[in-house]
Formats: sequence, C-alpha cells, structure tokens
Amino acid sequence: MLYALMGLGLSLVTGILNIPNFAHGALFAVGAYLLATVAVALGNFWLALLIAPLGVALLGLAIEYAGIRRLYAAGHDYQLLFTFGLALILSESIILIWGPIGSSYLPPEILRGGMDLGFTMYPKYRLFVMVAAGLLIFATWLFLEKTRYGAIMRAGIENKEMVSLLGIDIRMMFTVAFAMGAYLAGIAGALTAPIRGLNPGMGPDMLGIAFVVVALGGLGNLLGAIAAGLIIGVAQALVAAYWTEASTVVIYAVMAVILLVRPQGLFGIR
Amino acid sequence: MKKPVLFLLAAVFLLPLVVRPAIASEIWIFAIFGLGANLLMGYTGLLSFGQSTFFGSAAYVAGWLMKVQGVNAFLALAAGIGVGAASAAVVGYLCVQRSGLYFIMLTFALNQLFYFTAYQWTSITGGEDGMPGVPRPEFFGVDFKDPVIYYALVSGLFLLSLYLMKRIVESPLGKILQAIRENEVRAEAVGYAVPRFKLLAFVIGGAFSGLAGVLYAMLFGIVPLESISFVFSGNVIFATLIGGSGSLYGPVIGSFVFIWLSESMSTVWARWPLLLGVAFVLVVMFLRGGLVEAWTRFWTWRSSKLKT
Repeated sequence: MLYALMGLGLSLVTGILNIPNFAHGALFAVGAYLLATVAVALGNFWLALLIAPLGVALLGLAIEYAGIRRLYAAGHDYQLLFTFGLALILSESIILIWGPIGSSYLPPEILRGGMDLGFTMYPKYRLFVMVAAGLLIFATWLFLEKTRYGAIMRAGIENKEMVSLLGIDIRMMFTVAFAMGAYLAGIAGALTAPIRGLNPGMGPDMLGIAFVVVALGGLGNLLGAIAAGLIIGVAQALVAAYWTEASTVVIYAVMAVILLVRPQGLFGIR
Repeated sequence: MKKPVLFLLAAVFLLPLVVRPAIASEIWIFAIFGLGANLLMGYTGLLSFGQSTFFGSAAYVAGWLMKVQGVNAFLALAAGIGVGAASAAVVGYLCVQRSGLYFIMLTFALNQLFYFTAYQWTSITGGEDGMPGVPRPEFFGVDFKDPVIYYALVSGLFLLSLYLMKRIVESPLGKILQAIRENEVRAEAVGYAVPRFKLLAFVIGGAFSGLAGVLYAMLFGIVPLESISFVFSGNVIFATLIGGSGSLYGPVIGSFVFIWLSESMSTVWARWPLLLGVAFVLVVMFLRGGLVEAWTRFWTWRSSKLKT
C-alpha cells in the first residue's frame, strides 16, 4: 500500500512534469522525520500526521517554484542532476539535523499491539496504515477522476500543449502536481516512521522502489502505479517470508522479468 | 602534435607533482569512467543513470579474482573489461527499447538491483563494509605497489583509453551514434538498426567503466559498496556534464574538477555531499553546457572584443 502511495506520487510528477524526480525518496524521508519531530514536540500523533506531509508539500512547492520551474526547457540530464543534487542536499541535511544514527518512533497508544482478525493476529498499526493509505489513494483517484482540476491534470499528462492552448495556466498546474507528489511522498514517509523507524538511508531505498513501481505501472498511468505498487508489495512480503535476504533484490528482479515480457510496463501504453 | 595532446601529456606528467599520486591516479581512473559514460550520454544521447553497475561489478569480480584466485593484474584488468561489457550488455538489452524518462528510471532500477545484490551477498562482497584486501599483483617483475609506478600504469591506460575513444567517436560507428542522438527516427529511416547500435554503445561504455572499476579497486585495495551505488552513477554524470558532455575532453576536465572538488571538500567537512548537492544545483542553474562550453564562450567573447 505504501509502495502504491509512493508510486502514485512519483507517477504524477513524472507524468505531468516529465522530469525524473530523484528527490522523491528524500521527500519521503523528510516526511518521516518531520512526523517524529512534530509528534514528539506536540505530543500528538494525529496532529503530526496532518502537519508533517503538509510541510513536505510546502517544501515541494518551494522546490518547484525556485528551481524545477526553470528547467522544463532543459534536457533530462540537467533535470536529473538538479533533483539528484536536491536529494543529496536533503538527505545530508537530515543527517545534520537529526544525526546519522537511525531512531525508532512508536505508534500512538491505541494503535499498539495486535488485533485478532479471526484467522490471524495482525499489528493494529499496520492495519491502520493499510486503511489510511487506501483512503488516500481513493481520495487521489476521486480528485483526478471526478473533479474538474483532476480532469485538467489528466489532460496535462496526455497533451500539455493542447491544455495550455485552452487557456489553462499550465505552470500553475505543474506546481500543484509537484506539491501533490511531494505530499504523497511525505505522508507515505510519515506513515512508515512508526513501522520501520527512522534512518537517513530510507530515502534512497524507497526511491528505487518508487521508480520500479512507476516503470511497471506505466509512466503517467496512475491506476497502473497503484496496481504495480500492490504487486511489488505482495511479492516482497512473500519472498521475505521464505528468504529474507533476497527480499530487496526480488522487487528489481520482478521488474526485470516483467519488462522482458512487457517492455511498456504492465499497463503502459507509451 | 596538436595543442590538446600536448596539454594532456603535460598534465599527465605534472599532476603527480601537484597532488598525491593516489589522487592523481583517481582523477585519471574517473576520467576513464567518464569517457564510457560520455559515449552513452554525450554521443548517443542515452542518459544512463546506472553506470556504476558496470564499474562496481567489474571491481567486485576482478577484486575477487585477484584476492581469492590470485590471478595477475593484467588478467584481472581483462576480466574487469569483460565483466563491464557483459553487465552493460544485459542492462542495455533491457533498456534500449525504452526512451526518455523510462530509460533513465530503468537504468537506475537495474543499478539498484546490482547494488542490493552486492549488499546482501556478504560472503563474497562483504556487504556494507566493502571487499577489502584487493592486492595489486605484480606483473613481469614490475611491482605496482609503488604508488608512482601504479600511477604510470593508470595514466598510460588512460591515454590509451582516450585515444581509443577518439578513434571510436570519429569512426563511422561514432557518427552513427551521433546521428541517433540528433534524430533517432531519421537514423532508423536511413536504415540503421538503432537498438543494436545503442546496445553497442552500452557494451563499449561498459567496457571502459569496467576498466576504470578494476583500476579503482587496485588503487584503494578495497571495493567499497559505494562503487556500485547510484550515487556513484550520479557522480560520473555530474563529472561529464560539468566538463561538457558530447565533447571528447569534457569528461576528462570534469573528472579533474570533480575529484579535486570532492577531495578538498571531504577533508574539510564530513557532510561534504551536501556541498556537492549545492554544486550540482548551481551548475544546473548557471553553468549549463559545462566548462568546455564556458571556455569557448569566453574565447569567442574575448576575440569579438579584440576585433572591435
């Protein structure tokens, strides 16, 4: 579910802005750290869960406005270098601010412990994450499918020039899309923090997975990203149960195999 | 002899007098790596974000061969080139059908595949600690443990690589690759099998990366896990871009600047990648086209001033 969330955000950014966003993983990490900090400061997990992703979205807004906006005309190589530089800056800043050693953060009182599902015991917090991520994905889907601005954004993925010819402020849309992508990355990070703890390497790890999800789902194909995220998550969980060491490798192997059979990705059209 | 050649020879001889031989070697090694990346990026227009896959795999395999099997240095170098080319063939085969963002993301994801394989396969690669104890075996009585002699080997191989790369980019093959960069559809229409040529560019670039990888492992006596990480891929792209991609000497100048920058920054501050990130951003904002272009711009500006 979290993979789907990450993939969805990245797919939005790559699909609409047409840039390789290597800072997506770093935004994810920032989301996680922000959550822990805000939650400790306020003593309230729920408020932090609200604030932290918004902070990341604001950061995304600033990044798009100050930097990426000027790079749409430049080649992918410079866009890549820019976002890669950003990722370095963000992850090093995390180490500077929060220290190089990872830490853990516990979920709030009511979500600790397990829950009896009848056939198996399952940690309450993970259930919560699944529900929350599902709701978020559903909300994003609703926004993109059912609202006017969502329709404009989908049109933007298909044909940017046409959209701007229709008199729609496409630069504004780019900014919104990037901020949304950052928000999704941030909230995915925030939700992850109580499960996997915090460490500075979490960004790059997640970045790879997000790219796999997008590549599998098809660029700019948002439903594809959701489905691919679920597939990757399940595949990893299954392998982790039998052969723990291989679980990180397996997602990339799955990707390689699928791309051999279907080079355009599972649901890709381009 | 032409001016760049003279300049280059002077640089090769003078560099170890200015900086430590180890750093001088690192510069030329990184330049070889950059040459390979530049063939893909600058000449074929394939922005591969997975160059360290070939670099790292070659370093690991050759390091293992020298350490465990005790093969001599030149066999290890040959093996490294082979591994670099072979891994590039695999990655290239999976990637050349895609273009644009897809291509970048795929090369990156495959880079991660190799990275995590190295990370988990601790019995051979040492995982996070890297693979230490890579020797510099002697060959025909020449002892490469002396840093100056090793520098001679590295710079010799660098000059050879540069010459080879010059021949490649000026050959018909090089022209075809540039045609693909300029207009892929047209190159296809003229009758060139574009995917096959892209794959070829991958394999050649991978071979250069492999050579650089083995030299790197021998230089430091260790194969660090970073050598196969995507940060390394980013670094070589940066070095190539800052020098000026698509020009033969671009990556050479770029790696010179990059290694010098990172060496001096890393001694100042442990969090130097932060500064590196800032440097990336600044270059993208203000210095697109790289140093080679900035240099030409400066000269055209100067000569236009002199005329008036």
